[in-house]
Amino acid sequence: MNSTLLDINAYSLGIGTFDGPIHVLKDINITVKRGETLGIVGESGSGKTVLVRSVMGIGPSNSRVQAGHITFDGQDITRMNDKGWAKIRGIRISMIFQDPMTYLNPLFSIGRQISDVIAAHERAAGQGISSKAMRRSRTQELLEQVGLPAPAQLFDQYPHQLSGGMRQRVLIAMALAGKPDLLIADEPTTALDVTVQAQVLDLIKSLVKKLNLTVIMISHDIGAIATVASKCAVMYKGEIVEQGDTAAVLSNPQHDYTRQLLAAVPDIEVTPARLLAKQAVQDVIPAPQKLLEAVNLRKVYKTQAGGEFAAVDNISLSVNVGEIFGVVGESGSGKSTLARMLLRLIEPTSGDIFFEGQDISRLRGEPLRQIRQHMQFVFQNPHSALNGRHTIGDAIGEPLRIQTTMSRRDIDVRTEALLDIVQLPKSFRYRYPHELSGGQKQRVCIARAIALNPRLLILDEPTSALDISVQAQVLNFLQQVRKELNLTYVFISHDLAVIRQICDRTIVMKRGKIVEQGDTEQIFLHPAEEYTRALIESGRVTSRAARLRA
Amino acid sequence: MLSFTLRKLLTVAGTMLGIAVLTFVITNIAPGDPARLVAGPNATEDMVDTIRVEYGLDRPMIEQFGIYMKDLITGDFGTSIVTTRPVLDELLRYAPATIELVVVAMILGVALGVPLGMLSAVYKDGPIDHVTRILSISGVALPAFWFGILMQLYFSVDLGWLPVSGRLPLVTRPPDMVTGSLLLDALIAGNLETFRTALSHIILPAVVLSFPCLASILRVNRSEMIEVLQSDYITAARAHGISAGRIIAVYSLKNALLPTLAMIGLRFGWMLGSTVLVETVFDWPGIGLYAVSSALASDFKPVIGVTLLIGFLFIIANTLVDLAYAWIDPRLRRA
Repeated sequence: MNSTLLDINAYSLGIGTFDGPIHVLKDINITVKRGETLGIVGESGSGKTVLVRSVMGIGPSNSRVQAGHITFDGQDITRMNDKGWAKIRGIRISMIFQDPMTYLNPLFSIGRQISDVIAAHERAAGQGISSKAMRRSRTQELLEQVGLPAPAQLFDQYPHQLSGGMRQRVLIAMALAGKPDLLIADEPTTALDVTVQAQVLDLIKSLVKKLNLTVIMISHDIGAIATVASKCAVMYKGEIVEQGDTAAVLSNPQHDYTRQLLAAVPDIEVTPARLLAKQAVQDVIPAPQKLLEAVNLRKVYKTQAGGEFAAVDNISLSVNVGEIFGVVGESGSGKSTLARMLLRLIEPTSGDIFFEGQDISRLRGEPLRQIRQHMQFVFQNPHSALNGRHTIGDAIGEPLRIQTTMSRRDIDVRTEALLDIVQLPKSFRYRYPHELSGGQKQRVCIARAIALNPRLLILDEPTSALDISVQAQVLNFLQQVRKELNLTYVFISHDLAVIRQICDRTIVMKRGKIVEQGDTEQIFLHPAEEYTRALIESGRVTSRAARLRA
Repeated sequence: MLSFTLRKLLTVAGTMLGIAVLTFVITNIAPGDPARLVAGPNATEDMVDTIRVEYGLDRPMIEQFGIYMKDLITGDFGTSIVTTRPVLDELLRYAPATIELVVVAMILGVALGVPLGMLSAVYKDGPIDHVTRILSISGVALPAFWFGILMQLYFSVDLGWLPVSGRLPLVTRPPDMVTGSLLLDALIAGNLETFRTALSHIILPAVVLSFPCLASILRVNRSEMIEVLQSDYITAARAHGISAGRIIAVYSLKNALLPTLAMIGLRFGWMLGSTVLVETVFDWPGIGLYAVSSALASDFKPVIGVTLLIGFLFIIANTLVDLAYAWIDPRLRRA
C-alpha cells in the first residue's frame, strides 16, 4: 500500500518573459506516497501554486519545463497532451482552491456545475453519460459527503446564495466527484473566516481518513499545515529549502529561512512586553483624555430584496489619547465600515462622532477637509493603495500639497525626512511603486499618512496583505513611530495574536455589533463570550504549530 | 422573476411618458410658426389665422399639451399634411419594413459577431484575431451610404447576383399581410418563391446596416471572453476535468454574453435611427424614408409619430435585454 503515487524529480520550470525566461521552480524533488498528506509552506511568490498547478497540467501558458519530470502512478505526465490529461485531471488528481467565490461560476447552479463535472468524467472514461436523474442523485450524495445540509434544495441554488464556508464545501464536493487518488488543496482556508477555517480543515482531515486520499496542501498558515499534514516542505524563491515530517521540521528547523518564518509568527500566548514596561511607570500615567468618540453609530444598507442590512449596528466607543485601540472581527463583521465612518469617508446613517470634543459628524466642505489633517487612514493592501503612475515622492508629498501652502522645495525636504522616519533610503523618492516590495510599499503608505503630523491613525488590517516575516517588521516599526510622533492608533485586524501584542484596549465585533470590549489582556485571559473564545482558539492553533520546538 | 418583469414594464410606461413630454417640448421650442408653415408661402394672414384656430395652436400651451396627450393615449397621432392620411395608418404601413430590416441585420450581427468574437479571443493574436480586427475597424469606419453603393455596384451591377434596391419587384404580388414582414408573410402563405425573392432583396441592405453593429458586438464579445477565460472559475473547470471545448462553448460564453447583450440593446436603437441612410440608398420603403420626406416638407405630425415609435421600439428592445440579463444572471433575479 505504501507505493509512490507522485514523484517530482529534479523539476525546473521557466516562464518566458520579454527579457528571457525566469526560473520560477528550481530543481524540485518531492515524493508523495499513497495515503500521505504533504503540506507545502511558503510566502507569496515562492512558487508553490505554480508547482501544484504543474502537477495538474494547468500551469501558466507561457511556461516551459527546463529539466526533470513528474511521474504520477508510474506514468510520466511532464509533457502530456490534452487527451492524456482528460483521463487524469479532475478524475485521478483533483484540486480545491483558495477563494470559493471566484472559483465557482456565478451563472450556473451548484447542481449543474457538479453534475457537469460528473458527465465530463464519464465522457473521458468513454462509458457514455448517465441520465440526468442519476447524476443528480450522485451530486446530492457528494454534497452530503462534505457535510452540507439539505442537498436536494442546494442543487438548484446559485453560488451567491451560499456562505463562504458552504461554497468551499461545494468545491470540495466537486473535487471528490471523480473519486481521486490525489487531492491538491491550494490555500483552502485562507479566504475563509477563522471559525469556518477550523471546520473546513476538520472536513479535509476526515475525508482523508474515510476515502484514503493522498493530499498535497499549500498554505502560508503554519497552523493549517500542522493540523492536516504529516509531511511538510518549505518553499522559498522557487526552491524547496527543507522537507520532512511536519513535527520534525517545525520543532527542529534546519534552514535559516524556516527558522525566520517560524519566529515571525506572532505568539498569542506571551504577555506583551509593553505591559511589563507599563507596570514599571504606572504612577506617571495621567488620566486618560478622549481623542475620538463615537456614539450610537449606525450604517444601514438597503439590500436588493428591499430589506435593510445594518453593517454597523449601534456602536459606541471612545479612543483615548496615546493608546492603541484594537478592533477585531471576522470579514463581514463591519470593522472596515466602522473605520471608514470614523473618518467620515462613509456617511453614517445615524449617530455622532466627536474628535477632540468637537462634533464632526455633520461637518461639510472646508471644515471637514481641515479636520482630516488630524486623522489619517492606512489601507489594507499597499499594492492597490498607491497610484502606479506616481513616484513614491509624489505619493508622500501629496497630502502636503493638498493641505498646506508649503513650497515645492520644502515639500521635497519634508518628503525626504518622512522617508527617513519610515527607514527607507532617500533615493526612493524617484522610484515607482512596482519597484518596491509589499513591506516597503506599506511603509510608504504610513509615511504618507503621517506627513501632516496627524493625531490619529486608523490602520485597516495594515499587515494582512503582507508576508508573515514582513508583518513582524511593520508591526515593530508602527509601535516605534507611535512613540516618536505621539500618535494614537485605531488598529483593525482579524489576527488576535497581533492584537494582543500591540493593543491596549480592544473591541470584538460580530455582525455589526460589539460582542465584547475592554482591556486587551483581560479579553485574552478571561474571554466572556463564546465567539471570542473561538477566535482565540483558532489563533492558538497557528501559534502553537510555530512553536513546537519550545 | 415575475415581480421583476412587472417592475420593468412599469419603467417602460414611465419612460414612454418622458419621451412624449420631451417630444412635445422640443417641437414647441423649435423656431417658426407651424400654422404659417402649414398654410404655405402664399397664404394670406386670414388663412394662417384660420389654420391656427383649426389646429388649436391659439390655445394656451398647457391646454395644447393636454389635447396632445389625450390624442396619443387614444391612438390618434394626427394627420399628415402632405398625404392627408392619418399618421398612425402610415406608420403601420412603413414600420414593418424597417423593423424587418433591423431585425434581420441584428440577427446577422449577432450570428456572426458572437462566434467571431469568441474565436478571436480563443486564438488571441493569431491570424483569425487579426482578420476580425481589420473587419471590425472597417465596420465602424466605413460610412453606410458609401459602403452600400459599393455593395450595389459589385453584387448587383457587376455580378448580378442580387437586386439593386426595393423590397420586392413590382411584378411580384406581395403576400397577404399578417405580420407586415414580407419574409414571414411569404412563409405563412407557403409561397417559397416570394420568400426567396424577398430574401434576395433584404440581404444587401441588412449586411450594410449590420456591419457597424457586427463590429462592436465582435469587439465586446472578444474582450469579455478574454477576461472570462482568465478567471478563476475557468481554471477550476479545467482542473475538474471539463474539456476545453465545453469550457469555451458553454461556460465562458454565458459569462461573456452579459456585456454583449447590453451592446446589442444599444445597437438596436442606433440601427433604428440610422436606417435612414440605408433605406435611402436601397430605396427601402421604411419609416426612415418616411421621416426624412416628412421633415423636409415640414410635416410635423409624422415626425412626432416616428420619434415616438422609434423611442418605443428602443425601450422595448432594451427591456428585453434587461429581462434576458436577469434570465442569464441569477444574481439579478430578485425575490
